[in-house]
Amino acid sequence: MNKTEQFSRPGASPQAALTAAQTGIESGRRALLHYLGAMALVFLPCVLLIDDAHWLNIIAVTYLMGGLAAAWNIIGGFAGQFSLGHGVFFGIGAYVCAKLYLVFGFSPWATMVPAALFAALVAVLISWPTFRLRGPFFAIATLAFNEVAFVIANHFDSITGGPRGLQIPFKAGFSNMIFRERWQYALLMFGFAALVIGVSVVLRRSRLGYYLLAVREDEDSARASGINVLAVKLKGMALSAALTSLGGTLFAMYLRYIDPPTLFTLQDVGVKFALLSLIGGIGTIGGPMLGAALIIPFENFLRAELANALPGLNLAILGLLMVLAALFMKRGVAGAWADLMRRFSRNAGSGR
Amino acid sequence: MDQFLNVLVVGILLGGIYGLVSIGLNLIFGVVRIVNFAQGELVMFGMYGSYYAYTQFGISPYLSVLVVAPLVGVLGVAIQRLVIQPLHDESNMQIFATFGLLMMFQNLMLAVTRGEALSIGGQVGPAVLSLGEMKISMVRLVTFVVTTLITIGLHLFLSRTMTGKAIRAVTQDKRAARAMGINVERTFLFTFGIGAALAGLAGAMLTPIYSITPAVGGNFIMAAFAVVVLGGLGSVWGAYIGGLIVGVVEAFAGFYIDPALKHAVWFIIFLVVLIVRPSGLLGQAGAEEVGFREQN
Repeated sequence: MNKTEQFSRPGASPQAALTAAQTGIESGRRALLHYLGAMALVFLPCVLLIDDAHWLNIIAVTYLMGGLAAAWNIIGGFAGQFSLGHGVFFGIGAYVCAKLYLVFGFSPWATMVPAALFAALVAVLISWPTFRLRGPFFAIATLAFNEVAFVIANHFDSITGGPRGLQIPFKAGFSNMIFRERWQYALLMFGFAALVIGVSVVLRRSRLGYYLLAVREDEDSARASGINVLAVKLKGMALSAALTSLGGTLFAMYLRYIDPPTLFTLQDVGVKFALLSLIGGIGTIGGPMLGAALIIPFENFLRAELANALPGLNLAILGLLMVLAALFMKRGVAGAWADLMRRFSRNAGSGR
Repeated sequence: MDQFLNVLVVGILLGGIYGLVSIGLNLIFGVVRIVNFAQGELVMFGMYGSYYAYTQFGISPYLSVLVVAPLVGVLGVAIQRLVIQPLHDESNMQIFATFGLLMMFQNLMLAVTRGEALSIGGQVGPAVLSLGEMKISMVRLVTFVVTTLITIGLHLFLSRTMTGKAIRAVTQDKRAARAMGINVERTFLFTFGIGAALAGLAGAMLTPIYSITPAVGGNFIMAAFAVVVLGGLGSVWGAYIGGLIVGVVEAFAGFYIDPALKHAVWFIIFLVVLIVRPSGLLGQAGAEEVGFREQN
């Protein structure tokens, strides 16, 4: 991350300082309204106008993945801790819900609480030692946890159903979180994404949010300034994991079938969250949602167009996109947009 | 006792395979300080290369190394020049970029071959060496010997030749090496090329042992990471020892605990070592942090 650029920008010229003062720094409540309002403005026409199951499915998955990417972004973006193991928390949400629902008849809404607590607990337990590692070592360690979770889920089939997976019978009803209409799922996923974005907005302006950013920019300086770096990282990870597990619960009830490959495949889960954030803009509030809105429909299009003709070509294109984004668009669409706006306003200012 | 010995031998031979696929990764990880997620796919390219050399031209996989390894090495140089070098001080973006390469290579191969599993194990693989009660697979024995020879060769190369010394100098201190007139970028290119060529070589050696699919690289990459971290970052003998540890642990865990859990067992050992001693068993303590500090 380029910290000097970020920190020097507002005071770069008196003019810039003036405009910042005029518009004022957005209050937390206004920012919340801003983001959620924008999301609703996009969502409502989509759901009201589209009556096609295929497209409503894509919309539902887009919001689900957007919410999950935003949850990853809390630890991966705000705090700069590149976890590739968020599949673990996603899987916990799915398995805890499916198991409690199938065996004890708990409502999936109610299972979200123990699932989120369990995910947060696991997150703290596995992150406590791994947060000593930096950069790539942290990424590899989280990757290994994801693999361990895969093996465990495959092996203990009395709990997880093993490779056969768990099937959830269709029993429509609000308390079962199973719906007849596709738009109801779209609404559900939208609600999840809105919740995660809302949490991000509030977090970003909170003390913890600033601590997370400080840790990302320079861990040693953050520690020297009296921040308890480990505690801050653990809090961020626990929050991120809890939100991710909620997404796992929704995913399980949406698909009504879960097995280890769907929950722990890196390209579809752990790395996907990070990829969506990268495309949209890592560390920004709206970036992950934006990335999902761009990539998920595009991915579906590629799969529909190419997968039958040449299996794998759709994923190869996604891989290429990932390389290109890493090389040329490190701050994602949100970053590119901000650059463009700044250049535009600078030109307009100098013209005066 | 015989059983124990048998499992041990199987484990050591498996360790040879793991060591072989890890040598290249270890060199790249240790010197260029890149986590190359696409390393398993370079092994996969080596496997396909030697498979086609065998089926199309009847060239033995062991001979095809001479063509396959340099070709994969050239690909490695291209990756370093076009993807890694522009991202030299951004470790998070490197993770994305090399993971993107992994997805790209794996799925391109899937599109080209339609995912059919290929194998020449039937023609080359079944030769067995009988030592009393024990039966040792010839191809695995050959692989083990090759791993040993390459490790010795690489050790000699890094300690005796000027280029090898330049590589070690760059590893220790990039800035000082540059001041001594070493071309750091070219050294990185060369090192990545060698690391990739070693992956291609590993692939060719493994063609008679494993059936070949586009996703075969995934079987090796986590093992290779574990080997590199266990053995010690950038230590040539580290990859060898680490490979043996992972191989033997896997064989014993598979035999005495549960075949389904054999991977989980060495994963957990790997995690423990990563957390307790991230520099690995033979690595220099602190190397993992020094290496990743910004050094321009």
